[in-house]
Amino acid sequence: MSAIAALTIFIVAFIFIASEKVNKVKVVLIAAGLMAVTRLIPGSHVFFSEHEGIDWNVIFLLFGMMIIVGVVKQTGLFDYLGIWAAKRSRGRPYRLMVLLMAITAIASPILDNVTIIMLVVPVTIVVCNRLQIAAQPYIIAEVLASNIGGAATLIGDPPNMIIASRANLNFDDFLIHMTPIVVIVFVVFVILTRFLFRKSFEYNPDQVSAVMTLQEKRAITDVSLLIRCLVVLAAVIIAFCLHTILHVEPSVVALVGAGVMVLVSGIDVEEVLDEVEWETLVFFMGLFIMVAGLGHTGVIAKIGTWAVDTIGQHYFGAATTLLFGSAALGAFFDNIPYAATMAPIVESLAEQIHDDQATQGLWWAFALGADFGGNGTAIAASANVVALGLAARGGHKITFWQFTRYGIPVTILSVFIAWGYVYLRYFM
Amino acid sequence: MKAIDIAKPIPSITTGDSVTAAIHQMTDANLPGVVVVDDEGRPLTVIPGTQVLKMAVLNAYHDDPALVRTIDEESADVFAHDCNARAVGECLPDKIAKAATARSDATLLEVATIMLRGRSPLVAVVDKDKKLVGAVTLTALLGTMAPDTQPA
Repeated sequence: MSAIAALTIFIVAFIFIASEKVNKVKVVLIAAGLMAVTRLIPGSHVFFSEHEGIDWNVIFLLFGMMIIVGVVKQTGLFDYLGIWAAKRSRGRPYRLMVLLMAITAIASPILDNVTIIMLVVPVTIVVCNRLQIAAQPYIIAEVLASNIGGAATLIGDPPNMIIASRANLNFDDFLIHMTPIVVIVFVVFVILTRFLFRKSFEYNPDQVSAVMTLQEKRAITDVSLLIRCLVVLAAVIIAFCLHTILHVEPSVVALVGAGVMVLVSGIDVEEVLDEVEWETLVFFMGLFIMVAGLGHTGVIAKIGTWAVDTIGQHYFGAATTLLFGSAALGAFFDNIPYAATMAPIVESLAEQIHDDQATQGLWWAFALGADFGGNGTAIAASANVVALGLAARGGHKITFWQFTRYGIPVTILSVFIAWGYVYLRYFM
Repeated sequence: MKAIDIAKPIPSITTGDSVTAAIHQMTDANLPGVVVVDDEGRPLTVIPGTQVLKMAVLNAYHDDPALVRTIDEESADVFAHDCNARAVGECLPDKIAKAATARSDATLLEVATIMLRGRSPLVAVVDKDKKLVGAVTLTALLGTMAPDTQPA
């Protein structure tokens, strides 16, 4: 009975989240409250159980990284790089697109995708206005590049943080297993854009001088601040990589990094805290409680057992289903709640499989599907939604279908490449 | 003293008017904002001058001071963006702030608190049918305080 109640609350809440008609934070808070009040998840578990409650590792990792990013973005580095790229390209469309995609894809494994998009899209709009060309192809390409690049590391995409915490995977695991395939997919994607956007490329040589008058050096007013921030950021990344030696959780590294960043930057704490997306953090907390309700009432274990019975020894079949299923579902729903819901199910499945290689294959197939699915439609990932909002307000409106027309082929291609990778690496 | 006693008649705009029209109305009548009315002349919202300015500046610059610094002086001098082509209604946020309005018989204290709550330097004054009859500006309201606030 309690399992049915938990599942009902969860499904109703998920429908509301997916419909985007109601504020998703309100939805998860009400659903989480209902789960706790009806004792479907005890209060003590909500706050103190690592696996059946709020995953504080993910919350504080996000919190720490939001502060770090909030300081880095004040340095003006991305405005400098964006304008530098525009000048280097001399207005040639494909060259401009590749440089902007490269900046986005290189930054997105380190900084979160939404922030990258918020930094790169305004520069893109200004550059395109100067060149008197449509900014839409460049913005869409940047979003797709950020979702691909973000898949490379533990901190690049929120689904990776959730998966890492559930599967006990560290930063190095992601570098070893995800980064190689992300590099391959990105290179293929860069080549694909040449054809994908060929009809949208405009070249106005007469307008190049308008771009050349932009003064990118003025974007960075405090070089010393920039250097200090980059040094702290590099130290944080190194500490993530040294997890197996230091045994310090990524959340702790991010929190310490955030503290040091605030200290060395000299920026007001209040100003830095304004950069924290509290709404996102509360959404994650509510989501974890909702999923914990499913776990505590045995719903997740039942689904896991059913999945094991169904797949039998066909582990590659299970990985294939996870990869394609996650990409398909992740394309139409926000991939964060999807990953939060599926992670304990995959964990339950993995616990019942006594084959390390196959277990690894399942986790990485899940991560690749959830991450690459974020490119499928205009609503699949937060970065996509933010980019469309910025583009519309900047006078370069991108419709749902305009984005999706490019998103779907890129998702299909990247998922097929990932499928081959999963097979060759874990099941051959 | 009542709101109507210090209100001055003002022209109004509709959501279909251009951003340029809103700017002209402010500068011509020396107003700190504009009142947007519906088809029946009832205030929909009051837009403070800084928000009208926001409509005129390319959105990409709003939250990116580093990007703004990269713009050369010649281009920065003509920063207004597409003001003729865009209607005021297009530039308003999805959730329009309730119009800062006061009845014509409202006291000055009422007008002052409406200004504070709405963070608006302009309060639309309406008649009993809620139609616009004028507006109280921040300067006019502060002017009524001047005799008391002057140093001895």
